[in-house]
Amino acid sequence: MADHVENAVNNVSSDGTEAHRHTETSPGRTEVELNGQPPTARPPQVLTDTEEDEDEELTLKYGAKHVIMLFIPVTLCMVVVVATIKSVSFYTQKDGQQLIYTPFREDTETVGQRALNSMLNAFIMIGVILVMTMVLVVLYKYRCYKVIQAWLFFSNLLLLFFFSLIYLGEVFKTYNVAMDYLTLALIIWNFGVVGMICIHWKGPLRLQQAYLIMISALMALVFIKYLPEWTAWLILAAISVYDLLAVLCPKGPLRILVETAQERNETIFPALIYSSTMVWLFNMADSAETRNNSSHPVPEQENQVAVAPTAQPEDDGGFTPAWVDQQQHQLGPMQSTEDSRRQIQELPSARPPPEEDDEERGVKLGLGDFIFYSMLVGKASATASGDWNTTLACFVAILIGLCLTLLLLAIFKKALPALPISITFGLVFYFATDNLVRPFMDQLAVHQFYI
Amino acid sequence: MNLERMPNEEKLSLCRRYYLGGFAFLPFLWLVNVLWFFKEAFLKPAYTEQQQIKSYIKKSAMGLIVWVAVLTTWITIFQHFRARWGEVGDYLSFTIPLGTS
Repeated sequence: MADHVENAVNNVSSDGTEAHRHTETSPGRTEVELNGQPPTARPPQVLTDTEEDEDEELTLKYGAKHVIMLFIPVTLCMVVVVATIKSVSFYTQKDGQQLIYTPFREDTETVGQRALNSMLNAFIMIGVILVMTMVLVVLYKYRCYKVIQAWLFFSNLLLLFFFSLIYLGEVFKTYNVAMDYLTLALIIWNFGVVGMICIHWKGPLRLQQAYLIMISALMALVFIKYLPEWTAWLILAAISVYDLLAVLCPKGPLRILVETAQERNETIFPALIYSSTMVWLFNMADSAETRNNSSHPVPEQENQVAVAPTAQPEDDGGFTPAWVDQQQHQLGPMQSTEDSRRQIQELPSARPPPEEDDEERGVKLGLGDFIFYSMLVGKASATASGDWNTTLACFVAILIGLCLTLLLLAIFKKALPALPISITFGLVFYFATDNLVRPFMDQLAVHQFYI
Repeated sequence: MNLERMPNEEKLSLCRRYYLGGFAFLPFLWLVNVLWFFKEAFLKPAYTEQQQIKSYIKKSAMGLIVWVAVLTTWITIFQHFRARWGEVGDYLSFTIPLGTS
């Protein structure tokens, strides 16, 4: 499609010039277009109008394509999470274990106490995320890249090996399948190592995207399991607000990170950003493929900001708590998540492609966004009384929010938070559907009244 | 990663590394190698490094087939005889299905 668009642009400009030239010699062509207006008076305006229209069209075309390119991975992630929640009961069982970042319990006697506990939990979680983000910004500012990379590496390691081991074990238990240690070790070893290679080094794009989706789904499942009810919803709301502030406020940590990266003309670590094109910082070279997908922005030429990642702050937030939660996990994971978020933000702005990149730009979305979207839909499917109604409503709400966010991205052309709009819609739809639509539909069904 | 944009030497080196990496009990890596470089090796017009890439792909495919055969055999044996092995079977099992002898 990029090719097509590119060609369209070229055609338009060449047509414009041709028309212009033709008007001097023979007015026939432009005359036809202009409905009989005197050709000489018109061509320049036609040219500019066409160019402007083309620009707008391009922006919208790019925007539309990007939306679709992000719909698929977000949908896939949500589908994986919902499918797991529905089939593997492990992730909906509350064992009484909670993450260390949500120390207050919700099984209290009074509603007021519960509300207070969940608010405190949410505060602590956001506080932790904020601290981790600040640490990340500081590390980035002082160029401790090795530290950040090591963190990311270890957190991904944990995710790809440990969490997937637990996941696989639970799936086997659910389906009552016997599995021996040898085969299991081989499977986990292969899955993990190839995942690390694809994410941190070089690998096929599709495989890398698939792995990123899988680790986002795993994280979302961990959140769904280990966060108590009210805390989870409050955290979702609080993270959206945090994301909004962190990305848009001049002193927001994520914004500082993006700006620092832009100043240094660098890209952030790619390990935790989903990109619909070749995203590797050091492998900017994609030709044909980027033509088909979106490629990295062409900084020199166009406003690469258009491709700016939308969801950075959230990513960090999402990862951090998740990571922190794992009792045995060290700080690594948390930081990595934050890092990834940052990176996501910075990726698009950072670098100029080495060669002439006249292909389409890609879209990048932070993995934290994936995690929180999936977490919302997963919780909706796990705990809603309206079941599939509510799940679908939340799903649609999140996609609509994503569309809007990308639209805003196309308009504003700078890094935007991807969480607020989607999560707000999602929460509104969840509570509305659960409490209003479902009883309504139940009543309709009881009275056999079809509308 | 887009193979299109990479110079041929890099493609060869990447293919070679994937091939060598697969020896660390990583048949999946060989599978990825075969799938990813298949078009490069067999469906593209010839270039200097293509012959070597082809050989790596072929070797990866052979290694993959060997692994698949071994795994299939082992899994079949395990699933069939697990219950009969008693303690050893349980010791080897990560998950034990309920409701079987």
